[in-house]
Amino acid sequence: MQRKRWMFALLAILPTLAIFAYVRIYPIGDTLRLSLHKWDILSKNKPFIGFANFEELAGDPLFREALLNTTIIAFGVLLITIPLALVLAALIYHRTRSRFAGFYETAIFIPHVVSLVPAAMAWKWIFDARLGPLNALLTTFGFVPKAWLFDPVLSVVCIIVLCSWQALGYAVMIYLVGFKSLPTSLFEAAKLDGASAPQSFWYLSVPLLKPITLYVSVVTLVSGFNVYAQAFVLASDAQGAPGRQVRVLVLDMLENSFRNYRVGYAASEAVVLLAIVLVLTLIQFRLLREKGVR
Amino acid sequence: MIGALNSATTTSLKRRSGRTALLGAFMLTGLSAASAQTVTVWSGYPEMAPFYEHVAQGLKAKHPNLNVKVEAIALREHEKRIALGLTSGVAGATVIELQGSTVRRYLENDLLPKAPDAVVNFVKDKTNFDEFFTSNASYEGAIYGVPLFRGQAALFYNTDMFKAAGLTTPPKTMEEYTQYAEKLTKRGSDGNPTASGWSLRLTGGGQGIAEKFWINLFQYGGSVLEPTADGKWRANYANEAGRATLKQYLQNVHVLKTVTPEMPADAEAFERGQTAMFIRESWVIGDIASKAPNLTYATAPLPRGSIALPTNLYVKAEGADAKAAWDFVMATNEPENLTWLLKNVGWLPNRSGVDYSSVTNAAPAFNAFVNYPKDYKFFTLPSIGPIEEVLTRLAAQLTNAFRNASLAKDDAAIDAFLKSAADETNQILRREGLLGK
Repeated sequence: MQRKRWMFALLAILPTLAIFAYVRIYPIGDTLRLSLHKWDILSKNKPFIGFANFEELAGDPLFREALLNTTIIAFGVLLITIPLALVLAALIYHRTRSRFAGFYETAIFIPHVVSLVPAAMAWKWIFDARLGPLNALLTTFGFVPKAWLFDPVLSVVCIIVLCSWQALGYAVMIYLVGFKSLPTSLFEAAKLDGASAPQSFWYLSVPLLKPITLYVSVVTLVSGFNVYAQAFVLASDAQGAPGRQVRVLVLDMLENSFRNYRVGYAASEAVVLLAIVLVLTLIQFRLLREKGVR
Repeated sequence: MIGALNSATTTSLKRRSGRTALLGAFMLTGLSAASAQTVTVWSGYPEMAPFYEHVAQGLKAKHPNLNVKVEAIALREHEKRIALGLTSGVAGATVIELQGSTVRRYLENDLLPKAPDAVVNFVKDKTNFDEFFTSNASYEGAIYGVPLFRGQAALFYNTDMFKAAGLTTPPKTMEEYTQYAEKLTKRGSDGNPTASGWSLRLTGGGQGIAEKFWINLFQYGGSVLEPTADGKWRANYANEAGRATLKQYLQNVHVLKTVTPEMPADAEAFERGQTAMFIRESWVIGDIASKAPNLTYATAPLPRGSIALPTNLYVKAEGADAKAAWDFVMATNEPENLTWLLKNVGWLPNRSGVDYSSVTNAAPAFNAFVNYPKDYKFFTLPSIGPIEEVLTRLAAQLTNAFRNASLAKDDAAIDAFLKSAADETNQILRREGLLGK
């Protein structure tokens, strides 16, 4: 009887597993395979070249630049988004009874659902060196206007700001769910013991929300490493609207695949990206997972 | 009874004839649907969409059931679409617009069919096309495409701004370009430029930066790649011509400050009076006509010569669909359509023996593109597989160099930069077995 149940369960889940394997596992496996081949996307021949693609990656200055930029952007977004989302979620949660609570939540969540390209175009205008409101504001306060989209450092900062602005809404929403599930008795007890609101936040909310922080930080970091459209739009070389191309990994992969016709080489970049994201996710799990919880 | 029968028969006949008419109408609709053909045009130049629609409209009389769908998107996205589309298989008949330098890989892999005999005869006819264009549409002696238009550069200059700066003629040497740029730059009270004297391509993505650099380099007698005696290629810019070209960029950006990377640039800046001059292809004439019709400007040939980058039309289709697609391609080369292209879009048609004077006389700006000096020279991008990679990687290097103020007054540093970039170019060629001796 037990065996029949197992068989039934297995058969029931098999179609789903098959679809999952085909759309998720197979592409990863194929990417791994391609990374060991030389393939120009057009030819039927895909000669096996071992680790030659990876060896070339190690000496490729464009790949190194893309890797550095992507890492800075991913961690920059993480460092801005997580603390800010936590604080904002706490503020919104403690103002739940306010008649503006819905407005606060919506205002913060809207950037997450806004289409990426128009949003990036709007930010491109904000950062515009000559006509942008950001420089107008700086000038009003006596600061020197900056070439936001042209300076190698500032252009990366611009992408971090844009990505954080988009990621914040989602993170706040998830934290709000976390706040709503926290036991109120603990906060009441802390209040009776004389704990102030910031103390309750720091010593109760933050540790109790560790699992939420783990989830949000993994999602934020992974999406940070996959940054592409933001860099593409902010530097789009439309007539008369120049911008410095911030090279990120996904952009470099696309360029190698479809402009340079080097799919095997691009696949080796994808493998490196996959390895980085996996390692970082494991580290986050180790750092943030509560002791004893499996 | 008879009457009743007759009546019944009549009713029956009426019903039958009604059903027959319905069936006939259905079959006609079916036949019509079966004979209706759709040709999709993939273009990498959004401004070309009205031209293809115009050609389709003209074909209506000959092919009433032909439906032409024009899908014109930005060039870089278009290239990705072709790479993915041709390898995974495109549905239906597709006319594909491709530069001769890019198509090579697709032909090497049999991804595009040869042109039919009638098209071959048309393209090979020397009264229709110069050998340069025929050869550009061929691979291993066979014709695969039909030449349509070319990208050819000239100087565009704002005559009002020239007049205000006391300049009456366009610059004739590259040295004069810098001198003119200095005079033409408008500056604010703080000395910073508010309108550039000469708009240079300094930023952005893709290979455009390297192509523009190559045009300037060509004026100094250099080229990004040069053919070698063994039929291969090597980098040809780590030399005096390369140094002069890069130094001119750096001087204008960092020393004379006639242009900065963050300034509005290119055609849009020119149309708004935010730059006094820039080098671009003839499509800008059509763009100005539609966006800034009151702009007073003129064009001039470049000091030594220009790029000539032919774009051809290829077909991916089979059977009757292929015939309809090739008919469309041939229609694009009809004199009336080519004149329309020149007048309304501005790209230069490649077909010879067509009287374009009605357009060129009405728009003197075309003069620099058609009435150039006798010793004017042309170059094109080599039809080799890694040309895009060579240019894209050079563009990435150049972007960094343009930003580096310390290079501006240091010839040794410029030489070191050029050598490093040329080494990378040669490395790409070596990897592909194309590096010449």
